[in-house]
Amino acid sequence: MTRTATVAAAVLAGVAAALALVRGGYAVPAELVAPTLVLTLAVAWSFVGVGLVARHRRPDSRTGVLMVLFGFAWLARFVVAVDTTPAFVVGVLLGSVALSVFVQLLVTFPTGRTESRAQRVLVGLGWLLSVPLDAVFLALGAQRGRGEGPPPNGLVITPAGGGFRPEAVDLAVQAVVVALCVSVLVSVWSRWRACGPAARRALTPGLVGGTIVVGTLLVQRTAILLLLPPSAGVWLAWSSQVVLVVWPAALLLGLLRSRLDRSGVGRLVVELGEAGAGPEHLRSVVARTLHDPSVALVHRRPGTDGFVDAGGAPVEVGARAVTFLERDGEPIAALLHDPALSAEPDLVEAVAAGAGLAMENERLHAEVRHQLREVRASRARLVEAADAARRRVERDLHDGAQQRLVAVGLALRLARAGAPPAELDALLAEAADELTAALAELRELARGIYPPLLTDGGLGPALLSLAERAPLPVVLAAVPPERPPETVERTCYFVVSEALTNAAKHAGASTVEVSVVPDVSGAGGLCVEVVDDGVGGADPDGSGLRGLADRVAALGGGLEVASPAGRGTRVTASVPCG
Amino acid sequence: MTARVLIVDDHASFRSLARRLLVADGFDVVGEAGDAADAFAAVRALAPDVVLLDIRLPDLDGFGVAEVLAGDEDAPVVVLVSSRARIDYGQRVDASPARGFIAKDDLSGEVLRRVLAGAS
Repeated sequence: MTRTATVAAAVLAGVAAALALVRGGYAVPAELVAPTLVLTLAVAWSFVGVGLVARHRRPDSRTGVLMVLFGFAWLARFVVAVDTTPAFVVGVLLGSVALSVFVQLLVTFPTGRTESRAQRVLVGLGWLLSVPLDAVFLALGAQRGRGEGPPPNGLVITPAGGGFRPEAVDLAVQAVVVALCVSVLVSVWSRWRACGPAARRALTPGLVGGTIVVGTLLVQRTAILLLLPPSAGVWLAWSSQVVLVVWPAALLLGLLRSRLDRSGVGRLVVELGEAGAGPEHLRSVVARTLHDPSVALVHRRPGTDGFVDAGGAPVEVGARAVTFLERDGEPIAALLHDPALSAEPDLVEAVAAGAGLAMENERLHAEVRHQLREVRASRARLVEAADAARRRVERDLHDGAQQRLVAVGLALRLARAGAPPAELDALLAEAADELTAALAELRELARGIYPPLLTDGGLGPALLSLAERAPLPVVLAAVPPERPPETVERTCYFVVSEALTNAAKHAGASTVEVSVVPDVSGAGGLCVEVVDDGVGGADPDGSGLRGLADRVAALGGGLEVASPAGRGTRVTASVPCG
Repeated sequence: MTARVLIVDDHASFRSLARRLLVADGFDVVGEAGDAADAFAAVRALAPDVVLLDIRLPDLDGFGVAEVLAGDEDAPVVVLVSSRARIDYGQRVDASPARGFIAKDDLSGEVLRRVLAGAS
């Protein structure tokens, strides 16, 4: 229904209610007509008008519709003021609808929807006390009030002076109404207490107004229950109506507050874009935008379902309302916030998206920092490994070839000093043997520094030679048919060489299988696999394997070591091409 | 008087050649040791005049052995030998209580005699 039609209907209903009151046929005290009319129309039109605005501004909330409904229900009470039997019946039946709508409005504010069992019970009770109960009253004794006093629902018009004596059934109904009012107040109070600051910001204006109305109603009903003079009730009814006139504005304010300012999201993105946005800055900006100081931002631990806070401590995300920040369909972080904000999923998601940009930015920075640290560390390790290799070469030379050459020199000097012929032969033979051994050691050393076969023949022949020289049986299962780039070839060779050395030295393996195959990526890289049947338990962070991993990482590849105790060792390296 | 020499080196081929070389040059080689521990025992047992001491030993290095021996009464004269050159050890040779240094490939009775005489 369009707004214009609703406004027109409200105006017509107001005029009709006024006519019913003035010309309906009942005797209405002249001094009460004007205030009753003014207050009634003010309340009804305020609700309809502000309700329409609310419905327009917050189409997701039913509060606006309920406000409009209340406005019409407020006017509908005046049907009973027309002095005919059908009007009396309809009027009595509609007389308490406003109360039911009021209860629903207050209990379900600001969503307009019942969200808990307690709320559903209260709203249901509110409706049960209107049309059905009034129908019972009609059936029990409709004629009782006709032409004399007001119908049993106390909100309508005004009591005729003095003649009305409440009966037990009236008292019972009033007691139930009072109980309902108290329940509503308790419900509202507990809801306000349970929610966080963001939700309170939205709830407070509406709940304060509603509480005042219920409070006055309570006093008014208690007055009837306590058999106080009805005139006191009139004033109480009027004062509650005065509050009712301004209540819609309070409701609207609450609705708009719970909507939050969407421009805040724009500010959020701008603020987050500023330099120096650490995790706490990000959190405080998000908290300010959502008006929820308790907001928490948590990161997902990569490879797990768990979340951690900025300090790295694990966080349980189920305890509060959660909005996930996703990348490629996977949650990367989560925003823990006041459940009241869930009524505005669009806004929270917009804020989360803004925060997600910043977090993604921060994550990328962290990743770059981590990579930089990793590169620096591996660079340092590569230098150390190169130094260690030089030390090893110096020691090998000193202990091996150098000693043998010294022996050759001394033997020759002894020979020259004029040894007897028998000894001379022995000395020369000794010198020749030492020289042969020195040469063999020098060759082995040079080959270890860089295998000439790798340059001349390529990976296949070099690996074959390595396998033949290895101190344990090596099966060369596969080598690439074509020669990869030199750096790839070299890296693959040293991976196999180091893995074979480990298998022979530490693993106590009886056989080793080596295969070098083209990488599945098809980009020209190679995948190296060295599997032994030894004792396992190799330490991937040991200097040898660590050095290999650095070497492979320097080409952008990766090295994996699977070495369960007692079940052999599998070293796998993927060495990309360029 | 013939100097009594103890040869300390972990390479048996060097010990054997050095012994023959020195004996041919008139030295009395009274014993050999392959590491620092054996060297200490041999010095106690044989009381040599000269210890020809390799710097690189498997347990304690020659400088350390020289320090320990220098603390004894009637300490033998220590002459360090190495297949490295003297310059590879910087000031360490001068700072040690050893009488001198001979590169292994220079070793002969004459050189040893010169070192023993020159520095004393």
